[in-house]
Amino acid sequence: MKKTFAAILGATMMTAPMAMADDWPTRPLTMVIGFAPGGSTDIQGRVLANVMEEYLGQPVNVVNQPGGGSAVAFTRLKNTEADGNTFLFGGTTALTFTPIITPVEYEIDDFEYLAAVALGQNAIVTSAEQPFSTFDEIIAHGKENQMTYAQQTPLDEAIMRAIAEEEGLDLAIVPTGGGGGMAPLVLGREVDFAYSGGTHAQYTPTGEMVVAAFMSAERSPFYPDTPTLMELGYDYSIEDYRTIIVPQGVPENVKARLLEAAEYASESQAFKDITEGNTFFPVVFIGQEEMEANVRRIRAATEEVMAD
Amino acid sequence: MPRSDFWSGLAVAGFGLLALLWMIPNYAGSNPFAQMPPELVPGIGAWLMLVCGGIVAVKGLVQILRERISFVTTEFNWAAVGWAAWPFVYVAVAIWFMSFIKITWFGAFLIAGMLLLLGERRWYMILGCSVVPVVLLYVLSVYMMRVGVV
Amino acid sequence: MDFSAVGAAAAEALTLASFIGIGGGVLLGYVVGVIPGLSRSVAISIAIPMTFYMSPYIAISFLIGLSKGTAAGSAVSAILLNAPGEASSAATALDGYPMAKQGKPKTALQIGLIASVMGDILATIILIFVAIPFARVALMFGPYEMAAILAFALVFIAGLSGGNIFKGLAAGGLGILLGTVGLDNQTGLPRLTFGYTELMDGMPLIAVAIGTLALSEMFVQSEKLRYERGTMSVALKKDDSDRMTWPIFRRILPTILRGTGVGTFVGALPGLGPSVGSFMSYGMAQKAAKEPERFGKGEPKGIAAAESADNAVIPAALIPLFGLGIPGNVSAALLIGAFAIHGITVGPLLLRDNPELLYSIFAGMILASVIMLALGWFGLMFFAQITRVPPHVVIPVVIFFCLAGMMLQGYGTFGLIILMGFALLGYLMKKYDYSFVTFLVAFIITPMLELNLRQSIILSRGNWEILLGRPIAMFFIACTVLALVTLIIRTFRTDKAAAGAPNSE
Repeated sequence: MKKTFAAILGATMMTAPMAMADDWPTRPLTMVIGFAPGGSTDIQGRVLANVMEEYLGQPVNVVNQPGGGSAVAFTRLKNTEADGNTFLFGGTTALTFTPIITPVEYEIDDFEYLAAVALGQNAIVTSAEQPFSTFDEIIAHGKENQMTYAQQTPLDEAIMRAIAEEEGLDLAIVPTGGGGGMAPLVLGREVDFAYSGGTHAQYTPTGEMVVAAFMSAERSPFYPDTPTLMELGYDYSIEDYRTIIVPQGVPENVKARLLEAAEYASESQAFKDITEGNTFFPVVFIGQEEMEANVRRIRAATEEVMAD
Repeated sequence: MPRSDFWSGLAVAGFGLLALLWMIPNYAGSNPFAQMPPELVPGIGAWLMLVCGGIVAVKGLVQILRERISFVTTEFNWAAVGWAAWPFVYVAVAIWFMSFIKITWFGAFLIAGMLLLLGERRWYMILGCSVVPVVLLYVLSVYMMRVGVV
Repeated sequence: MDFSAVGAAAAEALTLASFIGIGGGVLLGYVVGVIPGLSRSVAISIAIPMTFYMSPYIAISFLIGLSKGTAAGSAVSAILLNAPGEASSAATALDGYPMAKQGKPKTALQIGLIASVMGDILATIILIFVAIPFARVALMFGPYEMAAILAFALVFIAGLSGGNIFKGLAAGGLGILLGTVGLDNQTGLPRLTFGYTELMDGMPLIAVAIGTLALSEMFVQSEKLRYERGTMSVALKKDDSDRMTWPIFRRILPTILRGTGVGTFVGALPGLGPSVGSFMSYGMAQKAAKEPERFGKGEPKGIAAAESADNAVIPAALIPLFGLGIPGNVSAALLIGAFAIHGITVGPLLLRDNPELLYSIFAGMILASVIMLALGWFGLMFFAQITRVPPHVVIPVVIFFCLAGMMLQGYGTFGLIILMGFALLGYLMKKYDYSFVTFLVAFIITPMLELNLRQSIILSRGNWEILLGRPIAMFFIACTVLALVTLIIRTFRTDKAAAGAPNSE
């Protein structure tokens, strides 16, 4: 902790004389994406880069650093110069969840969370052809029958195990390795219900898939009638914010410019079209203060769930 | 080729054994609740290597003994080995270089150097073949993929 | 069939951008095919990074156009150099080179081209009509069926890859072992990553592919340069009598049709690949001919049989890919990676969720065949010149693109080291005759197989009787057992004789 503080102090002192740079940025910026090209983070990030470029007047290059669900990218970001010229765009799970189960070389305090521009959509889904559609009906059905659930992350598995224990369900949990693998299992009714990180948005408009409950803290604007697990009385949630993240110690004026650019992007039609239309993530704008608190709150809650 | 069969089979079986004795027990992790533990599938792969590599080696050995040839070749053509090995060294050095300088900046020298070593002497061939690919890479990375200079 | 989707697909296939993308793919493929030693999988693995900025449809069509181009282009060097650009065109050289020596190089090239394009178009049409109903059936497949089919594909490919069976299995074992590296898909805990965060998503496919296919091949080729340096290419002359005529076409048409049938059949089975198809077709043409003794001495039918089957395999190999998401050969496996890069999961759901994309790809494939015909016909002289580019010029340039392609992926120095490791591995496997095709296919199939097996075991709760209600799964389990038994019997029978079947890629 002391070391980090010294690092911050050093970084601020070093950059302080150059803080006249109100015309920042003066050279091309780099946006780091912690996933291989083509995923939802990459698609959103590339559009975001275009819009930010429009606002900042300097090219924003997108660099993919895949590996370990962004863990590799965060490790490298921690060791880059805190001048704001390099920033990361992506979800916060690599900070709120990954460090709990695997040893990593970074911590929450190594970074600053400038602004979230999109919300994750974690949900519990089931097929429309099942005899149940709400979460309460799933639980009721499960008290009479053996049930199967398809997981995608150890976190949603842990939550579902806890709920199954509370409710006394006989639940078998299968891995799927991602949304692409989940969809055929649910649609083919090989499993009774499943976790979805956003894939369901492709199947709910056709009426094939039903969202039983949301795992996020708040209801989704796209499904206003579907409750969250919290509202149903289970004290669990999985939250993910697609956030612009910089290493600790970036000069204030640079952060302010990045924040403005992020706010500009969150209001841009192009970014909204792609993010909400193609990847089905609601676009939001959450400032730094709230995000710093969010990340730490989610981490504490996750630690509690995984401790069981 | 009983000799190469013997040695390569031995190497494969040895690697399989290494995987079974050290890599899988220490690094495969475990999950006592899983119906299919994480060490099962890598274990199958390692057993396949051990058994099949072992069969290849034993068959090679039998043939070596039957034909009464030695285990190592007597006439070792060092020039041939050197010729086969230098491209590996060349590329390995290039990779080491790439941790300091971007390949776009020294790619032309990389190609030109290898062309020279492979016996090309026409200057226009060397110039064209080394500059054009680098320019293509620059256009691809900076203007098309927008990832910056790599 | 949804006709509005078909219409939209045709419209997208005819935009300028797609013309440039597909045309570029075919052209590049043709050039790569013409250059001996640069194979299809080398070209695809290096070209994948180039597709990042394209739309998914153009990217995939570009890559498929590339495969098709290599299959047609490889005939040029087979005919003019007697050195096939792809192993699969070796059968073309049997009659093509003698025919070129007899002063009819242009006729031979034109026969090869027509046979290629016809085999290609016909097989694409078969693909369209087979893959779509097949995908409907495949939608009913659950984890049990998928696990059974994947196991079957694995055993089948191991048995077919040729060479020493034990070496093939050992290579497959390594593929299985390395395929399990990465986060365990259930617990999320690292497996065999040795503490490297970079390996948490598994060995990067692109590093494994470029390493074992492209880079190692360059090392093999550069080693060969010590012993031989280029062969003389037959030069094309201006000679009006040297061209394909209508009577020749009529004579070879039945051979082309038969070759297409053979190629399509071979392509649809996982693991066989174009070389098996072209040799099988050549053999059948010779058996069916009235004067079989003319084969090998410049018989047009020989070229037609080999080339039509060679090209028919490429679209047909996409039947299991689009229908089930299972790669039939290495090129198809690389296409899975390319689809994933563009955020698309290949398999039966693709047709349902993205019908426009699939129809566009089909339309693009037909377009690619037409472009191939035009390019091949009018660019004959130009491509004949490429056969004169010596390998020692090709090698350094390809090595540069291998390294650059890996850097574009963003894995950094770590990725380069992995690449180098797999290049060395691929070199040793080629040198000591361990099938790297089996290795790669096992590497790609293992994660899918393990996941489906796990799902099956958990879902059935260990109850084997559940399989009785799953006839398709039972069928493929029976096939797997049968393939295993055949494999073992064949191994004991060929124990004495050194097997020398052609490699499947």
